[in-house]
Amino acid sequence: MAGDKPRADFSNVKAGSSSTAPAPAKPAAPAAQTYTVAAGDSLSKIAKKVYGDAKKWQKIFEANKDQIKNPDLIHPGQILKIPAA
Amino acid sequence: MTIQLYTRPLAALLALALAFTACKGKEAEVAAPTPPVAAVAPFRVTAVALGNAIDAGKNVSAPTEVFAAGDTVYAVVASDGSSPSVTLAAKWTYEDGQLVNETVQTIAPTGPAATEFHIEKPDGWPAGKYKVEITANGALAGSKEFEVR
Repeated sequence: MAGDKPRADFSNVKAGSSSTAPAPAKPAAPAAQTYTVAAGDSLSKIAKKVYGDAKKWQKIFEANKDQIKNPDLIHPGQILKIPAA
Repeated sequence: MTIQLYTRPLAALLALALAFTACKGKEAEVAAPTPPVAAVAPFRVTAVALGNAIDAGKNVSAPTEVFAAGDTVYAVVASDGSSPSVTLAAKWTYEDGQLVNETVQTIAPTGPAATEFHIEKPDGWPAGKYKVEITANGALAGSKEFEVR
């Protein structure tokens, strides 16, 4: 309509907020889970045990690159970090 | 017959004495008063103030409801009480309800607090009437109207 007032453009409005009150406490991070390698284990077997999905072995490999150089070679007694699924 | 006449009042006296003893026993059972517990006031918004500047305590330093086109508009929400988590939101609208901005701030107040919301527009505010509505956990807690000239 020719008589309509054009709508204002507020797309460049900058907004913010702050408070003297503290922010709510963040929920505690879940404790890191670990897994001790047993004889006959492989990363995919461990992934199947802890995640229910053998294809997630790479997550465990990525989280333990400091101690696993070859994903096909893990040793009984090794303690692996298990990241959250 | 004579014996009966004497025994009836005696029985009544005995019943009264027993009732009195029972009452005394109940009195003894009354628990000692518990020490008063410090009441925790629930969170509530006490005021909403507008201005174009705030101080270090997040209070409006120059209250106004009329702003210039280049002003930063502050809405300060004063509150009291405590809560582990309160979501305060400021919804800014223009004229017939056109949305300008909506900002959310989550706090965990433990007493009196001031929460500020602000908006600015680098190329200036269009003249007209505006409104800011403050909600606390989704419930309307206050609103203010203002004008840009």
